[in-house]
Amino acid sequence: MSVAAPQSLLCELTYRCNLQCPYCYNPLDLGNPREELDLTTWLRVVDEAAALGILQFGLSGGEPTLRRSDLIAIVQRATERGGYTNLITQGTFLDAEYLDALLAAGLAHVQISIQAPQQELAFAIAGTDVHERKLAALRLVASRDVALTLNCVLHRLNHDALPEVIAFAEREGIRRLELANVQFYGWAYANRGALIPTREQVARAADVVAAARERLRGRMDITYVLPDYFEELPKPCMHGWAQVALTVTPDGRILPCPAAAAITTLSFPNVREWSLGEAWTDSDAFVAYRGTGWMPEPCRSCDFRERDFGGCRCQAFLLTGNAGATDPACAKSPDHHLVVALRDGDPSAVPLVPRRALATQG
Amino acid sequence: MNAYRLARGVRLQRKPDGASVLLVPEGIVELNASAASALALLDGTRDAPAIARILGESYEADPSELASDVRALLDDFAGRGFVTT
Repeated sequence: MSVAAPQSLLCELTYRCNLQCPYCYNPLDLGNPREELDLTTWLRVVDEAAALGILQFGLSGGEPTLRRSDLIAIVQRATERGGYTNLITQGTFLDAEYLDALLAAGLAHVQISIQAPQQELAFAIAGTDVHERKLAALRLVASRDVALTLNCVLHRLNHDALPEVIAFAEREGIRRLELANVQFYGWAYANRGALIPTREQVARAADVVAAARERLRGRMDITYVLPDYFEELPKPCMHGWAQVALTVTPDGRILPCPAAAAITTLSFPNVREWSLGEAWTDSDAFVAYRGTGWMPEPCRSCDFRERDFGGCRCQAFLLTGNAGATDPACAKSPDHHLVVALRDGDPSAVPLVPRRALATQG
Repeated sequence: MNAYRLARGVRLQRKPDGASVLLVPEGIVELNASAASALALLDGTRDAPAIARILGESYEADPSELASDVRALLDDFAGRGFVTT
């Protein structure tokens, strides 16, 4: 069976970060910065990706700008190979000189995240007082010839500030706004009991977003990522396992999605031993859940199996210990009660664990 | 006059197989040949009629039909934030 080529590559350049957001999807084990791939290896990975026909490159982390000069070289190589580069950053290290060097290398799109529209709440969530620095970075990027997206991850602690997030974006002249409900992987999974929004918050947000889209039509494009545990059908995660996208982690593991390292029952190929193309086509981990052949009931005979692909393998593993189970987010899953229990839990009983701040000097 | 150009961070690109795509933030928009030809003419000085006129020189098409096709394409892409005036 021939396998369609991937379209995008997410390069996680480092797990280091100076913020401590409890909703971070990075793994609890942030690894050893000394084992990060060197620049030569990253450039080879970019070359291999381009040879596979990949056009979209995401540069993320951790905080990717901590790989300061390496990031510029990677952007340049991806651009030379015909790629489109997206920098996913929290913005605290973006000054004019550095940004302009990235733009000269070909950077096409910058996504900057904020934790909240107000300094106090942003400080409380990030564990570090960087709101003003982010604001400066946002305005700097907006002044340059590059696409800009403002991102805010929504969870119980900031969901009520959603109207203010939209007003903030409007004040700053943002054209692209991504409002992403927290997805429960890594640190966010560890903190799921405290971060999961209430039913009331979720219902209110749907109305707020619909009204804002109507009012700002033609001026601001708003993407709204639905909350993980509130729909009756699972999300069509990654358009199916190993269908369109690849991730390479700071230490070189090749994953079908950024959260997949959580699946300890799979052994993932590493760029130190595998080419991207071989890993995509032949590695056991990529083949394991590709297509529909792996599906158990109720997925196997479900009319939606080609629409939601059985949901998310990582979510299935985290909640049930079996990555080959139907995603418990689906109302038809025999494990759906796990999601319902979480949705109806008492958040005040759950302590919040800040993400470990990892030394920013590698 | 509404002169069009590609929006910030939007790139028109030819793939190795010859087909053109529009590269946008975290996305790829497949283009047919006529859409690619129209978008290649966006330079910040041409309006929709000017683009249709130039296309008319190389395409066998009814001029008024071509003009309305170009208009529809630019309206659609402007609404999606890919082109701007």
